[in-house]
Amino acid sequence: MRIIDVHTHPIFFRKGATPKEVAALVAQSRALGIRHMVSLGDVLVHGTHPTAAQVTAMNDMNAKLQAWHPDFFSSFCFLNPVLGERAVMKEVERCVTRYGFKGIKLEISNNARDACMKPVMAAARRFGLVVLQHSWSMVNLKLRRFHSDPIDTAQLARRHPDVKIIMAHLTGIGFRGVLEAKGCDNLFVDTSGGYPEEGLVEYAAEQLGADHVLYGSDLPIRENSVTIGRILGARISAADKRLMLHDNTARLLNLN
Amino acid sequence: MLIDSNVNLGPWPFSPIPEYTGPQLAAHLAATGIRRALVSDLRAVFLPDPMPANRRLFAAVKRTPALLPVPILNPALRPWREQLDECIKAAPIRAVKICPNYHNYSLGAAHLDEFVAALSAAKLKLVLNVRLEDERHKYFALRIKGVAVADIGAFLQRFRSQHILLSGIYKPDLEKLAPSHANFSADIAFCEWINTLEALLEKIPANRLFLGTCTPLLSTRGQVDKLVRARIPARAKKLIGSENARRFFGL
Ligand SMILES: [Zn+2]
Repeated sequence: MRIIDVHTHPIFFRKGATPKEVAALVAQSRALGIRHMVSLGDVLVHGTHPTAAQVTAMNDMNAKLQAWHPDFFSSFCFLNPVLGERAVMKEVERCVTRYGFKGIKLEISNNARDACMKPVMAAARRFGLVVLQHSWSMVNLKLRRFHSDPIDTAQLARRHPDVKIIMAHLTGIGFRGVLEAKGCDNLFVDTSGGYPEEGLVEYAAEQLGADHVLYGSDLPIRENSVTIGRILGARISAADKRLMLHDNTARLLNLN
Repeated sequence: MLIDSNVNLGPWPFSPIPEYTGPQLAAHLAATGIRRALVSDLRAVFLPDPMPANRRLFAAVKRTPALLPVPILNPALRPWREQLDECIKAAPIRAVKICPNYHNYSLGAAHLDEFVAALSAAKLKLVLNVRLEDERHKYFALRIKGVAVADIGAFLQRFRSQHILLSGIYKPDLEKLAPSHANFSADIAFCEWINTLEALLEKIPANRLFLGTCTPLLSTRGQVDKLVRARIPARAKKLIGSENARRFFGL
């Protein structure tokens, strides 16, 4: 089965950044059937609130991966929305026109409900980009000011029905998160985050439709064999597995 | 042929996991190449007396030779010795599991001296459950953490003559314990990072790692593929996948 991984951090806290290491990752991923990866960047290397210069450096590193293996990597443009409209627009425009980035990646600089998201969504709309928002159930965690609960990400999607949004971390948002995402056609969920908890893949397929579930690993925090095996072993049809592992993301990002 | 050292039966109150019968569980495991499994009953984790769950477990696996029952006992309960005797009489058990975090006692408790000695006298292995869930995803009112790595270290030090199987330990905790304690093995159910096994084998020899899937709380196929698709020598795969468990549990 051909696979596209929509949620990866090939370089993580500066590790794995040499051309040799990246080539090794590409080779071992291909051996598992992965034909393409979306690199979201080394998102926390400068902490939760990187400066504009740090954001640019992170995106340049992502562009480097893409340049080394253009068939294998696509990139999302990492943003710190707190930096404001001018910084956001400038960086998105730069990453799209110079590098052809396919989406926007948002981590934990702010909550998805915050007003600073407005220009981010305007940029996504203007350049036709998908927005991937870090999400995790905040029931047992603190700092919702910075972390988005599935309620927050779903609200963002409902406020901006013309922008396609990926709610990251199926395992992190859990069963409640799936219910929050339900009924929102522009909202997709990626399967990354956490140990391969049983039943969630099936539940997401049932509640959201398999066409709204995208395979993502969160590499290197997770292992591709595990995250792929969890979908291959799920009690869903082979056609639904193919949608999740490949076709949905291929369509969403125009990857032929 | 794989042996899985971390499998469960029974419902879990907080997520809709499949509730298999013994034969259904064996068939589910066999689909990923697991031919034998050490199985406990999840009800024993929450019941005030684990024995009804253990009796249910023995009955459930009685006619399914692929499933070997591992009763869960609570050594903080006064009649644990009678309960142990009952388990030994009821089923051909090879090991007993303890869950100190769920059963609300410390690994430093004095009563564990007698308990560990009794297991040893009965030639039974001790499985120490470190966790069954990612702490971040627990039911909001369930304030139970995994067993602390310092407590495990002290426990291993205290029972140096025993070789203990740690179940559900996180990878960083395993790597912390490995250099200073030789008397434990661990299942890999809650060890995950890119190239998990390649990385683990740099810290601990292959003869101390066991395949453990934590079925049905975690995806069996995903967990099995962590081993089957790992880029490690075939010999190490065989040890982790079956030989270590065969030797440890005397199968
Ligand atoms: Zn991530």
